[in-house]
Amino acid sequence: MDAVFSGLASGFATALDPFNLMLVLVGCFAGTLIGALPGIGPINGVAILLPIAYGLGFKPESAIILLAGIYYGAEYGGRISSILLNVPGDAGAVMTTLDGNPMARKGEAGKALSLSAVASFVGGTFAVILMTLFGPLLAAYAVTFSPSDYVALMVFAFASLASLVGSNPVKTLLGAVIGLMLASIGIDANTGVARYTFGIPDILAGIDFLVVVIGLFGMAELIHLVEQQARGTLKTLEIDKSFVTMADLARTKWTILRSSCIGFFIGILPGTGASVASAVAYGTEKRVQNNPKSFGEGDIRGLAAPEAANNAAAGGAMVPMLTLGIPGSGTTAILLGALLLFNVTPGPLMFQQRPEIAWGLIASMYIGNIALLVINLPLVGLFARLLTIPQQYLTPLIAVLAFIGVYSIVSNPHDLYMITLLGLFGWIMRKLGFSLAPVILGFVLGSLFENNLRRALSISAGDWTILLQSWNSIVLYVLTAIVVIVPIWYGRRVAARNARSEDESPKAPA
Amino acid sequence: MADRLFAGALLIVAIAYTYIAFAILKAPFQYDPLGPESWPQILGCVAIPCILYVLWRPDVASFDLEMPTWARVGALFVLLMAYAWVFQPLGFILSTLIFCFLLSLMLGAKPLKAGLFGIVTGVAGYFVCTRLLELNLPAGKLFVGLL
Repeated sequence: MDAVFSGLASGFATALDPFNLMLVLVGCFAGTLIGALPGIGPINGVAILLPIAYGLGFKPESAIILLAGIYYGAEYGGRISSILLNVPGDAGAVMTTLDGNPMARKGEAGKALSLSAVASFVGGTFAVILMTLFGPLLAAYAVTFSPSDYVALMVFAFASLASLVGSNPVKTLLGAVIGLMLASIGIDANTGVARYTFGIPDILAGIDFLVVVIGLFGMAELIHLVEQQARGTLKTLEIDKSFVTMADLARTKWTILRSSCIGFFIGILPGTGASVASAVAYGTEKRVQNNPKSFGEGDIRGLAAPEAANNAAAGGAMVPMLTLGIPGSGTTAILLGALLLFNVTPGPLMFQQRPEIAWGLIASMYIGNIALLVINLPLVGLFARLLTIPQQYLTPLIAVLAFIGVYSIVSNPHDLYMITLLGLFGWIMRKLGFSLAPVILGFVLGSLFENNLRRALSISAGDWTILLQSWNSIVLYVLTAIVVIVPIWYGRRVAARNARSEDESPKAPA
Repeated sequence: MADRLFAGALLIVAIAYTYIAFAILKAPFQYDPLGPESWPQILGCVAIPCILYVLWRPDVASFDLEMPTWARVGALFVLLMAYAWVFQPLGFILSTLIFCFLLSLMLGAKPLKAGLFGIVTGVAGYFVCTRLLELNLPAGKLFVGLL
């Protein structure tokens, strides 16, 4: 416990440094702004601004504080377009539209916005507190992980990714494998053999992480925005004078706490971020309340639940990234790649070796959450006005920002073609129902996965049974089996129940 | 159909990938049990069954896009490739000016406003990025002496 407090104190020393403090505020403000823009979510915002933040030459802790601020700021801001426009910025904000938009149409837009800001604040802060308490414990335990345990952890990460993210598990898995394949391009560090480079000098060192991120989350989003262009103009609802009352908060306090818990723990699961968390929280709340009629027609609990959950998930997703080096969501995969760009390897040793980064980031999230609440309550009208920025100017700006970002890092025009082609590839994948987050997770984890497997087999001199020889890995494989089997079993049960007639008494689940 | 086309293309790539992994990749000498070829072999063996499953049970029939939308996406792609092509030779200001003008025009802005938007983005973007943020952007052959 002492270590937690002294760590936190040193973290606040880093985060309260005037320059870093300014970056927290800038990040939160920019994040809310990006999140509020229709169609652009946290992952796109972080992706587009990452190379620029990198190019500015900040210290690693400053850069990561800025990017994390953009990340959870955008989780806050996403609710604005969901509520006022009925257009979610990303998958994590979809559930917010279900009750948030009907509230706004009933003339309670002000109330919806302020209540969701409070719910977001509670969810976010709750996650940071749990992260402060459990992060160092998990890291201290993870130090004992051997390479074969890491292999098991990756298998678990990809299994939970495939089974919980996206509609089609096979496509999600295939997306992750495509990411892993992309990561295998370039010179193999152990033997110096060039793999899949076909003699092209630009990719000898591998495909640049920034190029993949900008391509898949900047350019693909741009193509998607242009494709959606003709489908009608967006109409913003007015913000009225209604405001959240103590009675509303009293009515939703258990909802918010429950959803924060759900969000945090789903966020921790590798690969599953805000989108799964908010959906599960909404579903749970609907079941707990037993009166699902009002849900979907502007129930304040239906608004508070997903908002608390998606912000808690954003914090929860940081936990495995900081302690294990395995990102908990697509956006944290990008943050992890950002740390790697700065030659910082996130993992169990980071709390000891680079405390200014690990603790500085955690402390900055306390500050950021408070700042976001303060920014979001009075200034929501300002952000709402941004929703009316005409798309014809916003869209070219995304392309220009992406080009600036990629060019300013390596000044290689070859990368500009690469991001455009990857963007087209990403757009096609999206159209076909693949989600892109698994691709980036696979890409980021590729070398870690391969190196640990090779190390494990070097230790055992080629004996594959080493993968099953420690309790850590056995437990992880059991968890993997659970995470794969339970959703299938649950899906079958729901399907069976729907098939049966309603008056028949439900049998005990087999 | 769309799913099958994409999966078919992926299958060809994945087979080539796996073939290279099994037949070509080889370290001249190595001490470790797993060489540079083992990991790609594993990936190939996971990817191919996944792709075959998608081929067997596709779930997206078509892209469901109308002709004008296709044209717009195609035009955007051409514009982006052209932007990438002229980015270095023409320099940031001129290439961005033209790109922003054409794209915003295509997306329905009035010509005058689109032109103004292009000029502001190109000029202001250049000075903010190079002078204020100290990022590296191409000045272009025409402007080297001027800026």
